[in-house]
Amino acid sequence: MGILGLTALPVAGGILAIVFARLAKDRIIHSDQEGDGLATAGQTLGVISLVLIGLAAVVFFMQDNLKEFYEDFFNWETMRFWFPKLAKAFLTTLKLAVVSEFFILIFGLILALMRISRLRTFRFAAAVYIDVIRGLPLILQIFIIYFGLSYLGLNFSRFTAGVVSLTVCYAAYEAEIFRAGIESIHKGQMEAARSLGMTYLQSMRYIVLPQAVRRVIPPLSNEFVMLTKDTALVAFIGMSEVFQVGKEAMGRDANVTPLMGVAFFFLLVTIPAMRVVQYLEKRMGRGD
Amino acid sequence: MIETARNGNGKDVTETPYDGPMISIVGLHKKFGDFDALKGIDLDVNPSEVVVVVGPSGSGKSTMLRCINGLEQATRGQVFIEGIDITHRATDINEMRQKVGMVFQSFNLFPHLTAIGNVTLAPIKVKGMDQEEADAHGREILEKVGLGDKADAFPAHLSGGQQQRVAIARALAMDPDVMLFDEVTSALDPELVKEVLDTMKGLAREGMTMVVVTHEMGFAKEVGDRLIFMDEGLVVEDGEPAEVFNNPQHPRTQEFFSKILSHL
Ligand SMILES: Nc1ncnc2c1ncn2[C@@H]1O[C@H](COP(=O)(O)OP(=O)(O)O)[C@@H](O)[C@H]1O
Ligand SMILES: [Mg+2]
Repeated sequence: MGILGLTALPVAGGILAIVFARLAKDRIIHSDQEGDGLATAGQTLGVISLVLIGLAAVVFFMQDNLKEFYEDFFNWETMRFWFPKLAKAFLTTLKLAVVSEFFILIFGLILALMRISRLRTFRFAAAVYIDVIRGLPLILQIFIIYFGLSYLGLNFSRFTAGVVSLTVCYAAYEAEIFRAGIESIHKGQMEAARSLGMTYLQSMRYIVLPQAVRRVIPPLSNEFVMLTKDTALVAFIGMSEVFQVGKEAMGRDANVTPLMGVAFFFLLVTIPAMRVVQYLEKRMGRGD
Repeated sequence: MIETARNGNGKDVTETPYDGPMISIVGLHKKFGDFDALKGIDLDVNPSEVVVVVGPSGSGKSTMLRCINGLEQATRGQVFIEGIDITHRATDINEMRQKVGMVFQSFNLFPHLTAIGNVTLAPIKVKGMDQEEADAHGREILEKVGLGDKADAFPAHLSGGQQQRVAIARALAMDPDVMLFDEVTSALDPELVKEVLDTMKGLAREGMTMVVVTHEMGFAKEVGDRLIFMDEGLVVEDGEPAEVFNNPQHPRTQEFFSKILSHL
């Protein structure tokens, strides 16, 4: 109880700092940037001290739990042992994502072209495919494809099966992105190309697609980030990618640290990738 | 007209020189759903003739032009280019379009290609010209429309008038026998209209066969061999431009001209 009373004092101080800074801000004339900056600094410091006080309280009251948590999640020995193995498995993960993306782009583009074809059979087939695939959880597709393939007598490696299932699934999503991109190109472009004697496919290839692809690079990169994360699902058919290896390690050492390593590797790729997507989107928004 | 030519086999035409009309439209109907955009157009355009088409908005001018190069499919009737029926299933429409250049109101330049890229793409991909030859040819044509110095500029960096002249050059690069112009100055600022009209006058002087949808009456009177007035999907009046303009026969034509006169 005494401790609580002791913390109440700095807590009140922090809150008062924030409030006073806020009041100061309201009284500052607009052009006074220096005063405004100081008030902001006061507010920030107030918030920081509140957070620090909170953390100190948590550490104090949960000392034992924290120690356990730290041992379980950030065990240095475990990390040192598994890190190289996780790194290697993460390379497999990346390979899985990159190889899949290659086939996804090709298959997705073909699906998109079928989806907007003048031939009803193509349109229908593509629409059904896209709807069915988008209507199913990826994990279910992975299982069905993996066991389906072996029923068909196709003994694919787990890697190939992983690539096939990711391609089957993601192509449906990326097809819709491609389609939206193609449809966003003014139809005058296609008409101008056709009026010069170019065939439909030539017009697509030289006029519409180059413009459409530029427009869909941000959403496609975004899909690639999601794909990279979803490779983890292939662990469920026993593929030794980073999540699978991390899971096994966790079981063996009865420690969560390897999974934190897995998280580290994913973030290593996904965060920069998301920054790049955002940069691209901004640049597109500027219209060049 | 020779039978093989009608079947759309372009190569056989050269054996007997064709000396009929450049464009021949016969009983052309076009429906959009239940709506009749064209209700039976008959029109011949002779080689080197400049036919100016006027008419109120929605009268079917664009639709008629688009039927001439197959961008729109006729519901009924036929369109012959140099004696070949382009509405016939066996006709290679891509081959026929090489003979018919088209320029649009909204330019429709390819924004990802430079001016010279716009001009050379079709000769290279469709005619199989090699890059060097297409480039030389393309620069010559850009020179002709007064844009020799803009060959390497992207469309976004050109004025509307310059863009439209690149679009004309792009169509000319295929060495067409006919040029179709669909209100090509309507989207331009007034001060840029003249440079485009001058380019078109130059073409007419060289003997290009042209069908020009426009509201520029000065152009019609100066360059046009014939003036056609369209209304509600029909050709209502067809004659010598000054004659149609000064002495319209049909009440709808009179009404139309009095409207645009009061507008001027
Ligand atoms: N693709 C289309 N679908 C439906 N209606 C159309 C289409 N194109 C043109 N129309 C209609 O046909 C009529 C003629 O159009 P258009 O040829 O563009 O006229 P104009 O060029 O003389 O202004 C208009 O009423 C227009 O709304
Ligand atoms: Mg029109």
